[in-house]
Amino acid sequence: MQEVPGEYLDRKKESEEDRSKSYKQKEESRLKLAKLLLCGTELVTNIQVATDIREIHRRVEEEEIKRQRLEKLESEVKTSQDKFDEITAKWEEGKQKRIPQDLWDMLNTQQVHCAGLIEDKNKLISELQQELKTKDDQYVKDLKKQSDDICLLLERMEEQVKNVMKTFRQELNYIEKAFEVERQELLTSNKKKWEQALQAHSAKELEYLTNRIKKVEGYEKQLNKQRIWDWEDYNTIKIRLEQDVQVLEQQLQQMKATYQLNQEKLEYNCQVLKKRDEESTVIKSQQKRKINRLHDSLNNLRSKYAQQITQFQEENQSLTSDYKRLMMQFKELQKAMRHFAVVDDKQFREIWLMNEEEAKDLMSRALDVDRIIHTHHLGLPWTAPDFWFLRNVGPISQQPRKSATQILEEVLMQAEEEGTEETASEAESYLDLPKQISAKTTRKILMLLCDESGFLIESKLLSLLLPLEKNECYLLRLDAIFSALGIESEDDLYKLVNFFLKYQIYHSPSSQEQTSPMSALEPGEQTDLEGQEEESLVEGEPEEKETPPSPRLIHPNDVLKILKAFVMGLKKPRDPRAPMKLKCVQDNSKDSEYWEALTTVIPDTTQNLWDALYTGLEKYHLILTQRAKLLVENGSLEQQNTELQMLLQQYLDSQINSELQVPPTQVFRVPTK
Amino acid sequence: MQETLATSTLSVPSRSSVSTQDKFSTAGQTLSTGPRPPRHSIVPPPSKSKGWNSRTKFHQMRRTITEDTEWSLAIVPLLTELCIQHIVKNFQNNPLLKQLLPQHQQKVLNLLSPDLPLAVTANLIDDENYWRRCCTQRWPVCHVAKHGGSWKRLFFERHLENLIKHFIPGTTDPAVILDLLPLCRNYVRRLHVDQFLPPVQLPPPHGELSDSGSDVELEEPTTDHYQLGDLVAGLSHLEELDLVYGVKDCGMNFEWNLFLFTYRDCHSLAATIKACHTLKIFRLTRSKVDDDKARILIRSLLDHPALEELDLSHNLIGDRGARAAAKLLSHSHLRVLDLANNQVRAPGAQSLAHALAHNTNLTSLNLRLNCIEDEGGQALAHALQTNKCLTTLHLGGNELSEPTATLLSQVLTVNTTLTSINLSCNHIGLDGGKQLLEGMSDNKTLLEFDLRLSDVAQESEYLIGQALCANREAAHQRALNPSHFMSPVMAKGPENPAG
Repeated sequence: MQEVPGEYLDRKKESEEDRSKSYKQKEESRLKLAKLLLCGTELVTNIQVATDIREIHRRVEEEEIKRQRLEKLESEVKTSQDKFDEITAKWEEGKQKRIPQDLWDMLNTQQVHCAGLIEDKNKLISELQQELKTKDDQYVKDLKKQSDDICLLLERMEEQVKNVMKTFRQELNYIEKAFEVERQELLTSNKKKWEQALQAHSAKELEYLTNRIKKVEGYEKQLNKQRIWDWEDYNTIKIRLEQDVQVLEQQLQQMKATYQLNQEKLEYNCQVLKKRDEESTVIKSQQKRKINRLHDSLNNLRSKYAQQITQFQEENQSLTSDYKRLMMQFKELQKAMRHFAVVDDKQFREIWLMNEEEAKDLMSRALDVDRIIHTHHLGLPWTAPDFWFLRNVGPISQQPRKSATQILEEVLMQAEEEGTEETASEAESYLDLPKQISAKTTRKILMLLCDESGFLIESKLLSLLLPLEKNECYLLRLDAIFSALGIESEDDLYKLVNFFLKYQIYHSPSSQEQTSPMSALEPGEQTDLEGQEEESLVEGEPEEKETPPSPRLIHPNDVLKILKAFVMGLKKPRDPRAPMKLKCVQDNSKDSEYWEALTTVIPDTTQNLWDALYTGLEKYHLILTQRAKLLVENGSLEQQNTELQMLLQQYLDSQINSELQVPPTQVFRVPTK
Repeated sequence: MQETLATSTLSVPSRSSVSTQDKFSTAGQTLSTGPRPPRHSIVPPPSKSKGWNSRTKFHQMRRTITEDTEWSLAIVPLLTELCIQHIVKNFQNNPLLKQLLPQHQQKVLNLLSPDLPLAVTANLIDDENYWRRCCTQRWPVCHVAKHGGSWKRLFFERHLENLIKHFIPGTTDPAVILDLLPLCRNYVRRLHVDQFLPPVQLPPPHGELSDSGSDVELEEPTTDHYQLGDLVAGLSHLEELDLVYGVKDCGMNFEWNLFLFTYRDCHSLAATIKACHTLKIFRLTRSKVDDDKARILIRSLLDHPALEELDLSHNLIGDRGARAAAKLLSHSHLRVLDLANNQVRAPGAQSLAHALAHNTNLTSLNLRLNCIEDEGGQALAHALQTNKCLTTLHLGGNELSEPTATLLSQVLTVNTTLTSINLSCNHIGLDGGKQLLEGMSDNKTLLEFDLRLSDVAQESEYLIGQALCANREAAHQRALNPSHFMSPVMAKGPENPAG
């Protein structure tokens, strides 16, 4: 019981003792039985093993004997074969024997040999038979042995079975006994435990009981105490609450009095309000009637209003349609007008051109006549008159104005040519440029502007300009600058140049006297652009000489300021309508002027000359005609003469003459030629 | 008269009067016999023959029933009893069983005679008790455990075996066996035939020595035995076939001719086992199977779907047969191979070893009483180093010696599947024994190691025995509680030497 291994104790706590004991017994029995079985089987199988080894030995021996036997047989076969060969050889020999004696001898010997051979074989056979017999005996012995073995085996098996049975029973008994003992022990121990537990239980029960009684007493005391204390508490609270009740009752009485008072007041108020209410109902009805009336009027007005609205809408619609129609008409009219204007313009131009051509034709004829008169009749040298209108083609009012860039181009072109043919170009340039400023100054100002205001040009353009020529480069740059500044036309450009010059004049005290002509120009410039041109035409030459422009006086730093001032100034006078009206008025005068100028292509002096010449020539012509008449008369007379001569001749030459007694020829003298 | 009428017809009032009488007269007796009547019903059958006599006596006794104190209803057979008796009597002509109530069925079965023709009983009666009576009547010793615990199976198997055993080709009508086939086909699972009689020219098979001697020469080509083909093809549940081509109890009439396994037998047997797909165990022992026949048989067994055990012990199989068996190992699910007491030598063992090296099915190999010698032994040992399946190896009586022992000792340290090795009757020698002991010291799985009569020193044999004992203990513990594998071993550790 006490020799339980520790590990086992852990596994089976509750039944450790029984388990260990029975288990031990079982284990012991098992081992014992296993051993027994092993030994028994070994004992039994020992026989098999023994026979096995015997069999092996037998086999080995058998093999050996077999081998020997085979060897023996082989040697026997060999020897007998030899003998047989010998005998057969002798047969051959015998055949050659002629002597019967010899033959007989030989046959005898052959017989002996054969007998020997057969004897050998027989011997061998007998030996083998002997062996067979021994083998048979052996077999019988083996059989016996085997039966003995089997008997032994059976015996052993039986014994084994008996033994095993016995031991099994024994062990079973042991195990049962062990279990029995264990059970007893277990029972006793459990009984002991049970009793102990019972005792412990009763003791504990007693203890609990006493404890409980004590506790009950203590609780009773506590309860009494608690009751007394609660009673006192209750009394005090009751007194306090009663006092409270009295106070509250008093308050209630007071409240009741005030309530009564308030009730009366309110009743009075109620009556007053009722009366007021009645009044208000009366007023209300009045108001209602009024409202009704007003509503009626309102409705009337509304209907009227609606009618009006519809009416006006209709009107409006008709008017708008009218308006639209008129607008359409107007537009059509405008279109037609424009069309007619264009057509008129065209017609006008055509007529102009036709008339001009005619006039020019006439003029050329007149001039031709003049020239012929001068050269042929008067014998004077003739110079062709040179007038501006001669070169004019087409209506003057329709001449296109040049843009700033074109001007620029021209200016620059001029500047280029300047070095080579300064004088020749000058004559041409005066036609286009404002006459107060030379091309050179313009160019210089522009160059300066170009150099200074590079910031107005886009950087992309700059990069594109690099590979171009200098002049083209300037041109493009200026173009960009002008577009930035808003300079579009020729006039703007001139304005700019003038502005520059003026600015310079204002700011340079040295050239103070030059301000007057320039300032006089100013109003003309701003109001009338054409006028400026005209003015410049008139005043061109003297002014140019007066103002030798000095661009080097304009400091590059001032250029920006000038530009700023110019741009500010330029914005003011932009009124696109004004010049249009003026233009129309100006047109007619100009045209009439032109046409009048055309009439005066032959001056009065020449006309007078022509008149005188005419009279002279007329007289001369008269004389000449008279002479011509005389000449004609003369001629006719001559002719008559000849004819008469002819007739005379005829007559003279005729036959009759001959026949005549007197020929007339003889009568007179025949004229000879 | 009235009383006789009443009692003869067994009318209700009389019964009630009887019962009341019973209660009154033999109160004490009824108490004891009350529960008996159903049991008593078994009593009449033995006295069946006396039935009529007793009835006549009954008539005579009727008048004195009231006076007869020993009379009771228990003596009167119930109508059901009578019917059952009648059914039993006429069972051969009119087998009524399935229609009866279960308890009546039981009664009928208990009463049926074991001599009834099989044609009636075979497919009708499943009761084990009946068949046990049949068996015990026919054979004094019956090992029902060998037949799957079924008496019916035992009866049919032994009956069939008996028929085959005494079948004489040429003289016995084959219909004798084939007629039985439809009756026994569902019950026969095992066929153990240890005798095949040869055909006989002369009526007495045990004729005189001189006659039979002369017959041997004449009959030699026609000594074919009973052809199992038809029979086996009919047995749909056959699992085991155990054959011995030989004659038992020939005594002094021994002739070699009686133990002849002819080629025709061999071919027909091969075809038979090939066609039998349910066969699990095939044994052909003591039949003089030589190499060629073994090859024919084994060839027919290649890729057999169910075969698990092949036993060709006590034959004349040599190396070629062993090679065929080796091939079979790799072409089937063979678990047990027994080639004991054959003539396998080293080459055959080597080919077996080669097949064994990578086999995963074979658990038992028996090469007892062959002559594989050291070469074969070494080859097998090498194969065992890679094999993970073999548990039992018998190499007793194989002329093995020390080299094999050294290799086997190495195998013992490596292998963990082998549980039993038999090296008895070899020449292991002292040194070999020591080496085996060394190998044993590292092995924890081997349970049996037979070294008897193999020239091993007593000491090492004893020590090996100790080691085996320890291994067995461990295995026992493992089997007892596989989950608590470690702790019991620890617990039992100190107790083992004491036990």
